[in-house]
Amino acid sequence: MATEQQLVVQTTGAIAAEGLAERKKVRLRRHHELQNGTAYLFLTPYLAVFVLFVVVPLVFGIYVSLHNWSETTGNGGFIWFRNYTTLILGRGYYGSEFWTSMWNTIFFVIISVPLLWLIPTALAYGVYRAPLKPLWRFLFFYPSVFSATAFGSAWSLLLATNGGSVNNLFGLNIQWLTGMPQAWISIDLATIWATMGFSFIIMYAAITQVPRPTLEAAEMDGAGAYERFRLIILPLLRRASVVVVVLNTIASFNLFAQDQIMTNGGPGTATTTISMTIYQQAFDSFNAGGATAAAFLLAIVLGVIAFFQFRISRKAV
Amino acid sequence: MQTVIGVPAASTPPVPARHVQQRLRRITRKLPVLVILTIAGLAMLFPVLWILTTAFGKSNGGLATSNLFPSTLSLQNFRMIFNEQSTQDPVLRWIFNSVGVSAAAAVMVAVIDSLAAFALARLRFRGSKVVFTIVVSSLMVPFIALLLPLYLWFQYLGLLNTYGALVLPYAANAFGVFLLYQFFLGIPQELQDAAIADGASHPQVWWRLFVPLSTGITATLMVLTFMNVYNDFFWPLVATSSPDMRTITVGIEIVAIGQFQTNYTAMMALTVVSIIPMVIAFIFAQRRLVEGIAVSGLQG
Repeated sequence: MATEQQLVVQTTGAIAAEGLAERKKVRLRRHHELQNGTAYLFLTPYLAVFVLFVVVPLVFGIYVSLHNWSETTGNGGFIWFRNYTTLILGRGYYGSEFWTSMWNTIFFVIISVPLLWLIPTALAYGVYRAPLKPLWRFLFFYPSVFSATAFGSAWSLLLATNGGSVNNLFGLNIQWLTGMPQAWISIDLATIWATMGFSFIIMYAAITQVPRPTLEAAEMDGAGAYERFRLIILPLLRRASVVVVVLNTIASFNLFAQDQIMTNGGPGTATTTISMTIYQQAFDSFNAGGATAAAFLLAIVLGVIAFFQFRISRKAV
Repeated sequence: MQTVIGVPAASTPPVPARHVQQRLRRITRKLPVLVILTIAGLAMLFPVLWILTTAFGKSNGGLATSNLFPSTLSLQNFRMIFNEQSTQDPVLRWIFNSVGVSAAAAVMVAVIDSLAAFALARLRFRGSKVVFTIVVSSLMVPFIALLLPLYLWFQYLGLLNTYGALVLPYAANAFGVFLLYQFFLGIPQELQDAAIADGASHPQVWWRLFVPLSTGITATLMVLTFMNVYNDFFWPLVATSSPDMRTITVGIEIVAIGQFQTNYTAMMALTVVSIIPMVIAFIFAQRRLVEGIAVSGLQG
């Protein structure tokens, strides 16, 4: 009797186990088939915000840039590419302003981007070879968490001509923010001070990934610190360097907040950047069409630069 | 890391004199680096020290003192920015706005990007390549191209000058999708299969398996998003117009080129107040911040 019952239990157990295994197999098979419905369910939130806040604005922006469009009076008619030709050919006040500020911005990019690679890379290699790494990492990185308006206002107060800390302390009367070329030097200095931490962290992370045995072998062969850096580390930093250069190029082309606070584009229009011109056109002159066209031209320039910089890095890797 | 490779480990114990000499040589070899780092480190520290001492110094008619370390500390400047300007320049409200908007954006980005990354990394579906290409290529769209159209679009939607306007444009964060996608690719397929075989649905696999496994990288993404939104200037500048809806970055700019223009000490105090939330974030999440920036650099 007992045995019979045991037998029953055993067989049902075996059947159940077999059924479970079968069910698992079915589930897995179904899992490895296409899961269109589920996948798009997961993607819906992203695709929704992407369409609403990237695609629609982009398409709408193209539409606006082809019209004589103002924030106050709305659509003033289709004008083909006249917004773009005005800018590219530098026609009228806005056209010349566009090029003045574009050259200013390019000048800033040419000065700041190499320095924002050189200084962080040198410091990263220094920290890599020095004791007290956490201290140095903190010191070189911490200003990077401050907003551009915060460090811009701080530096504008340090560098103010009358009553600024620097002039006060040293008994000087230098127009750090209102004279040329000091205004650009001040903006460059503040920007490098405040933003080089990002580049430093990226370069430092890349340096720590250089295989130690290779470096030690080179040291045994009599390579000095500089030679080791130039011949072994630097080639391995190509990829990180490209990232740093691309990010800093984009950030420098978008120079706006600290410039606005420190010099307000002055003296005259000497430090007016392309972002400031776009802002003024859009919100002071209410020329949305022209401002959008300028923004797209800048975006195209940035896109082309980023594309080539990444192409170079792909080849290098 | 063991670094004894290549060093004769079982050599005779070093003669003390030679040992000292070696140590000395090692230190002197490091000396130039240390000197340069110290100078650079002081240069990094100096401006902030100066700002702090000015902010906590006497108001002095708004002029900065030439004294680096003021003999008397006072909260005069802080009292001034919180009291006198509270109606026109609600500093506390600005900070509240900034923190709230940044936190909301960070949470939104984490959820939306985690869901999308799960689908892209772990589900097979028609059009996955197309969606992935769209996500990656949208990394290339500079925000300046979206700024004005977004403004006009939010104007059309009647959402300008609302919290929605301050948060929503940050929701489509392609970088986050990419970051989590890379991480999800590294999770073993066997784990997913085992969960599925045990009868878990895909949402359950995501919530019970992938979300817990990715808390670290998700926190990193959230910290980075918080910082970027908190420090953003251009979008909140155009998206808001009433003093109540401003964020602190815009508030500083308005005050800086407005009535505090000549009151340097009060302006310094405002600057100090504005960075407090980021200082707190930095203290609690320095590792995450650093890690996030390093990862974004190494991935390219």
